[in-house]
Amino acid sequence: MNQLHSFQAVPSTRNAFDAYSTLPEPPRPQSTHAPRAHTQQPIVTGTSVLGIKYEGGVMLAADNLASYGSLARFKDIQRLHPLGDNTCLAVAGDMSDFQYMTKLLDATLRADRSVSLTDTHPPFSPQNIYTYLSNLYYARRSKVNPLWNAILVGGWDKEKKESFLAYVDLLGTTYSAPTLATGIGAHIAQPLLREAYEAKAGVDGKGPLLTGQEAEELLDTCMKVLFYRDARSLNKYQIATISNDGVKISDSKSSETEWGFAEGLRGYGPQTQ
Amino acid sequence: MSSIGTGYDLSVSTYSPDGRLFQVEYAGKAVEAAGVAIGLRCSDGVVLGVERILHSKLLVKGANRRIQSLDDSIGLASAGLLADGVHLADRGRDEVWNFRETYNAPIPTQILADRLSMYVQAYTAYSSVRPFGVSSLVAGVDKTGPRLFCIEPSGVFYGYRGYAVGKGAVLARTELEKAVGKETEEGGVALTCREGVLEVARIIHLVHDDNKDKEFELEMTWISPESNMKHAVVPADLLAEADAKGKAALEEGMEED
Amino acid sequence: MFRNSYDSDNVTFSPQGKLHQIDYALEAVKQGSAAIGLRSKTHAVLLTLKRSTGELATYQKKLIRIDDHVGVAIAGLMSDARVLSNFMRQQAMQSRMLYGRPIPVGRAVQGISGRAQNNTQQYGRRPYGVGFLVIGRDETGPHLFEFSPAGTTFEYYAHSIGARSQSAKTYLEKNFESFENASLPELINHGLSALHDTLQQDKFLTIQNTSIAIIGPSSDEVEDISISGAAKRGNFRVWENEHVDRLLRAWRRSRGEPEDGPQEAAPAPEATTEGGAEATDSTAATGGDSSSTEAASAPASGDAPSSGTGGSGDDVEMQ
Repeated sequence: MNQLHSFQAVPSTRNAFDAYSTLPEPPRPQSTHAPRAHTQQPIVTGTSVLGIKYEGGVMLAADNLASYGSLARFKDIQRLHPLGDNTCLAVAGDMSDFQYMTKLLDATLRADRSVSLTDTHPPFSPQNIYTYLSNLYYARRSKVNPLWNAILVGGWDKEKKESFLAYVDLLGTTYSAPTLATGIGAHIAQPLLREAYEAKAGVDGKGPLLTGQEAEELLDTCMKVLFYRDARSLNKYQIATISNDGVKISDSKSSETEWGFAEGLRGYGPQTQ
Repeated sequence: MSSIGTGYDLSVSTYSPDGRLFQVEYAGKAVEAAGVAIGLRCSDGVVLGVERILHSKLLVKGANRRIQSLDDSIGLASAGLLADGVHLADRGRDEVWNFRETYNAPIPTQILADRLSMYVQAYTAYSSVRPFGVSSLVAGVDKTGPRLFCIEPSGVFYGYRGYAVGKGAVLARTELEKAVGKETEEGGVALTCREGVLEVARIIHLVHDDNKDKEFELEMTWISPESNMKHAVVPADLLAEADAKGKAALEEGMEED
Repeated sequence: MFRNSYDSDNVTFSPQGKLHQIDYALEAVKQGSAAIGLRSKTHAVLLTLKRSTGELATYQKKLIRIDDHVGVAIAGLMSDARVLSNFMRQQAMQSRMLYGRPIPVGRAVQGISGRAQNNTQQYGRRPYGVGFLVIGRDETGPHLFEFSPAGTTFEYYAHSIGARSQSAKTYLEKNFESFENASLPELINHGLSALHDTLQQDKFLTIQNTSIAIIGPSSDEVEDISISGAAKRGNFRVWENEHVDRLLRAWRRSRGEPEDGPQEAAPAPEATTEGGAEATDSTAATGGDSSSTEAASAPASGDAPSSGTGGSGDDVEMQ
């Protein structure tokens, strides 16, 4: 039987170039393709997102813009995505990867919810979702086919009764801190967030946290500063509040801005000299 | 069943001379031996109920559910071989996932019932498998409203306003016909989910009467405005009320006899 | 050759809608030695009776750790048990890896049940010949599940499987209402009493034939946490051989028996006589506990595969 197998295996290597299988080794398949390239850059993008822990949970902020290069292409995009009733994502980077990823997560959570009717097991905690996301993003970058995002995961762990805030990006990089920002926000907003956070909680974070109102006002400030300094931002944004009461996502809002100073800037308005 | 023992009833891929598939019919016998499962389509949702027979008093109270969720707004109650019911529900969740991935929309109840029935049918067509030993009630609410379907071991499925499968199903169906019949009368209205829960509980208690030797637990789920149109277990207080009223109705009926 | 024309393969329903091959597989579970599980609102425990095939052989392992928070006791075909428990381990590790979450116990059991169901619906396969008692704890507390070759799972307050397990069941049914609030030592004592009831008249629980697994906070009354990190953390741990001595002594004390236990003249290997005896016992035992009385009578007749011979060859596989 074995012999028969090996005998039959030979004809399968025959082809037009070697009709009688005379070559000592079967010819190697010719590569007809150029090297395969995956995503080289994001296309439609969202700019930086912010997150901060406050005394009763976590707040996330993201504006409503999806840019096409430098063009402000879509101005009513929600980049805050609730998952279950105790976790929320704020997502920067490629918007189609964002949509793909949220569909995948929604389906995963839905399947888990279905099964939980049978065993009454609680749903995924924010940490569980974050672990899953981290694995997903690291696995994709390891295939050199990344999902081009930077994500903040904000949550309230109902079992441990504590807030959760962490970062993961297209490289699978992960870290956690009581205040977080992605992209240009990490340079411009993070110092402001940290300063205000540490003013109350101290460098060790052991003091009292900001109240909900203080945290929201701080995010308002940061979103305004980012609108002034980030050319890919929009003065229309939303804030997600994740607490023991669940996930609440605000209506879109704007900051009061003052552009009078711009008259004195070279390059703004018609050139006078 | 004169063909028993003639050899035409050993494989699902063999017809008997008069054109029957005995293996499918035998699979139906497994259904008839199981605790009853009832579905009732109401004006504002769907109610599912099963008689969970307790084969041991060591079983954990309230655990070992027989009704399963397939999607946020779709439930499945099977009567027959327990493990086959779980298998079918797993497949149902796959279909739910697959449909959503393709169309980015929740699967309509009828489409799900259709796909599941095709899966069940495939197990009646090859000698290398056996048919499913379950009849399954698929209950869901979608854009077309509350829907109820039953998939038989043969792979056929029909839509119903109310239906029962398992032991005592025939009596249960008669009772359901009475309940549903009222809504088609002049000026009649369909039951609400809340009323439906009481009705299904009453019928389960009624049909259980025949085999009082085995204890059972009443298990009920619904897709109703009170559950946000999601498939969820009926709240404990309503379930207890339905259980008590069902028991009371049974005793009343016995006194009348 | 066959008892009827409907029992020769796993894809043929009898006219009554039964699958005889599944019923026969359930008999294989009863050929294995007893395993008992109990749970309180804080703990879940497993107790098993180990067999030895001869004086030179070790006692066969009956308890398998799946993860920190899950473990199983087996009765039936050891090789099937290894395949299924290996699968459970993979599922448990996958849950930890992918979600950073210990697998919910019920889902770990459901995983192998799905596989077992598959073996009852496709030609050319046989149902698994092993039953599990699975203990574990997760976010919903401690659990005890039974897995059977039929592909079903049930959650119990207390349960027993394997040879002469009906005797244990009788004990458990009489006492289970007190288990919910029992302390760990009390729970173990109940378990040992139930296990004791599965023994033949002249047999005793010894440190050689008894093994105990625990999930839940440790109790220094019966456990030496200095030698077990798992015990310290409340994870799945197994006590057997010299380490089970303490638990056996505590149990005998609680029954007012001499702490050293009855002295057997020679701790004879059980296997030499057990094969035949057990087959008979298990038949007698099924009358009450099995929903399928039709099948219960199966191995009673002389032609059932392993009854009567009592060969130790069977015992190597059946644990």
